[in-house]
Amino acid sequence: MRNDNVEMHKKEHLPQFILRTRFTRRGPLSFIGHLDLMKVIERAVRRADLPILHTQGYNPRPVMVFALPLGVGIDTTGDYVDVAMSVPMEADEFLDRIRPQLPQGLEFISARQIGEPKDSIMSIVSAAAYSLEAPGITQKILDLFSLEKVETQKKSKGKIKTVDIRPLMIKPLTTSTPDRADIMVYAGSEKNLRPDVLLAALCEQTGYGKDKADECIVTRTALYGGTYPDIKELSELEIKYKENNI
Amino acid sequence: MHREIVVPRSVLMSVESPGRYVGGEINQIIREDIVRELREKGGCSAVRTAFCFPDVYEIGMSNLALQILYKVLNSEEWTSCERAFAPWPDMDKLMREKDIPLYSMETRSPLYEFDVVAFTLGYEMCFTNVLQMLDLGKIPFLSRDRKDDDPIVVCGGPVAYNIEPMADYFDAAFMGEGEEVDLEFTRLIKEYKDNGKKDRQALLRRIAKIEGMYVPSLYEPQYENGRFKRFIRKYDDVPEKIRKRIITDLDNVIFPTAPVVPNNSVVHDRAYLEIFRGCIRGCRFCQAGYITRPVREKSADVLIDQGRCIERSTGYDELGMLSLSTSDYTGLSKLTDGLLEAFEDRHTSLSLPSLRIDNFALELMDKVSRTRKTGLTFAPEAGTQRLRDVINKGICEDDIMSALKLAFDGGWSTVKLYFMLGLPTETDEDVEGIADLALKIEDLYYQCARERGEKPRRPEITVSTSMFIPKPFTAFQWEGQNTAEDFLRKQALLKSKVKKSRNIRYIWHDVETSCFEGILARGDRRLCPAMLDGYKAGMIFDAWDDNFDYEKWMQILDKHGITWEMFAGAIDPSEELPWDHIDVGVTRSFFLKERENAYKETVTPNCREKCAGCGAACFKTGVCFEKR
Ligand code: SF4
Repeated sequence: MRNDNVEMHKKEHLPQFILRTRFTRRGPLSFIGHLDLMKVIERAVRRADLPILHTQGYNPRPVMVFALPLGVGIDTTGDYVDVAMSVPMEADEFLDRIRPQLPQGLEFISARQIGEPKDSIMSIVSAAAYSLEAPGITQKILDLFSLEKVETQKKSKGKIKTVDIRPLMIKPLTTSTPDRADIMVYAGSEKNLRPDVLLAALCEQTGYGKDKADECIVTRTALYGGTYPDIKELSELEIKYKENNI
Repeated sequence: MHREIVVPRSVLMSVESPGRYVGGEINQIIREDIVRELREKGGCSAVRTAFCFPDVYEIGMSNLALQILYKVLNSEEWTSCERAFAPWPDMDKLMREKDIPLYSMETRSPLYEFDVVAFTLGYEMCFTNVLQMLDLGKIPFLSRDRKDDDPIVVCGGPVAYNIEPMADYFDAAFMGEGEEVDLEFTRLIKEYKDNGKKDRQALLRRIAKIEGMYVPSLYEPQYENGRFKRFIRKYDDVPEKIRKRIITDLDNVIFPTAPVVPNNSVVHDRAYLEIFRGCIRGCRFCQAGYITRPVREKSADVLIDQGRCIERSTGYDELGMLSLSTSDYTGLSKLTDGLLEAFEDRHTSLSLPSLRIDNFALELMDKVSRTRKTGLTFAPEAGTQRLRDVINKGICEDDIMSALKLAFDGGWSTVKLYFMLGLPTETDEDVEGIADLALKIEDLYYQCARERGEKPRRPEITVSTSMFIPKPFTAFQWEGQNTAEDFLRKQALLKSKVKKSRNIRYIWHDVETSCFEGILARGDRRLCPAMLDGYKAGMIFDAWDDNFDYEKWMQILDKHGITWEMFAGAIDPSEELPWDHIDVGVTRSFFLKERENAYKETVTPNCREKCAGCGAACFKTGVCFEKR
């Protein structure tokens, strides 16, 4: 079935009218994984009966590209999804129609019409900001950033290996309150630091209590593109379009 | 006093699939009127039912009964319904450690706060999960230990027809279809609640007078020489027989056109339409077919309408047709055409399970389904014509072969065949017949390719066997089950025969699970203490192979003096059965006659060919009154 899709796509490229949408999630909906979140949005689009573009072939799927997968338990105030329509649609109409269909905890806060981008939104993400809320966490985060090496165990392909995540940690952002630290880390398909890995390392390296880390509220607050230090929030980033774009 | 359970984030973050414990789904019904009352007064006047599914969320949310009764019980202001599911062992452990009671998804109220705690029972292996949920919900296990203001604990669903192994734990059981009787029962509870919940015993006696409701504690079992003898009613006004309830007019019964849509993946991500209830076929082993008689259809127009609504309100891209045999629906082509038209351009597919393969079916599958040519399924159930006649499976080898020829010529190459081992009168020849049939199908595949002049790719033929389990309310309710050794030997025999071909794959069900199920299916009240002991010894989620521990169960049963033969062995038809006081419409004498017919290898025509006089006509509706 997958082959069908690939082949059909080669044959014909349908025009895409993309709505770059910024969304937030919190509450019960934060406890589902990325694939489930995609399905939740797919179904909302279907309930709203929006003219979404589908892949071709025997198993047509709506065309949606997320900037960065959102892990289980992570809230967000600034994530993006590109939703492709088969006909042009005003951002306001899109939002008006889909908002009533979103489950509790998921909000589409803004959208803008864009042309077909040269690079998919997924490929331009290079960094992310997270806020970590837990008792006394700020000092420990600063301690962690002061280390030269932050080694932790990571499971990959069934094997456990030791990795140094320090190179993936960019910088602390706001650390003025003792119970909330905002940090910037690498994110995206090349280099990526997951907050749960960071929290595990925090416990191991600084003696921060695991019980407190388990209660830590993690919120993704921003996504950036560009090459650090030359980075911009996704919404401010200039979009490069495909050549034959309208 | 009302309490709202808050599950710490750390708990949710350390269990598998936390999404199953948080609710917040589309179409979830949160009764603001009740929430307000609970917060302001600590209680409310409406009857609150916790609808419990004794398995994980993902399984429960695919259950149609739950979605139907959820809607029915939320349809009027004096009644409300919330959902609860069995927490998986990881969550179970943390809830005990942190003393978090089992709570409902909607208002996160602990189970003990509800007026009614209702379980739907789809399979016997979920029994210990009922006990788990009661325990975590802080409700006394035993019906007789519950106080006036404890919840009334009830159950329904196919397994409720023989609830004896769990009878001590339920205050009452629903026999049959719940849409109407549920409200009658709830109205009674409303009265009880309005009167300040006094005299539970009197309430139970009143419940017993509602048609279709069984109150086990009002029937005292007697045993003789280690066998069940009879039930003695405790009061004269308690009915001698409890007749199941059915819905006469499916077109006009309430149906959830906006079912709750889970946020995390469930077993099948799709919505369902129920196209008819009952079965015309009369396979002699099949409890589902008999207990749901007579066949009543929903009209295609109503279904198309409901299908359109459901597809819109849920956003699912697949709609499943639910019944015991899709092909027996008389309006199938009208229905599928109508739905396809309604879903034009919406990329919605239909799933049509258990289609009997013919030209019409193959075309249909091409039209409606986007997973094209993934595989065909057949359920011959037995390997030889003789045994198929014994079980009244109205299908012969020619039917199978001509259907497969059509399919192979149409490009299919994957076939899945379902059989049962251990059927009454089965011999080794019948077991070997399964392999023969599979090999013949393989030959046919290559022959078809040759005739078409094609060089075929390899076919994939899967033979799957389950174990025959004698069930109450079937023609085989008196039969003995094969022992585990018999089953294993037959599996080995079949395995050695299908090995001949590398295109045939053989998969089989777990023998031990089936043996245990065999005990529970026809068990009586003497099993009750053992079920609780099993639960206390840590047995939950028995329906999941990884959790099921047969050895341990056998030790527990042994301690209670229960042997496998007692309930899984053959029963003499002169004996009274522990479920004889339940009336499903189909009569005991019909089952006996069907048993004789089985031994004579005589086939009984289906309801549409000729009425066999099974007894279900007493409900005065459905196929029994169709013109033939
Ligand atoms: S009474 Fe006749 S038609 Fe009705 S269900 Fe029984 S056998 Fe079928």
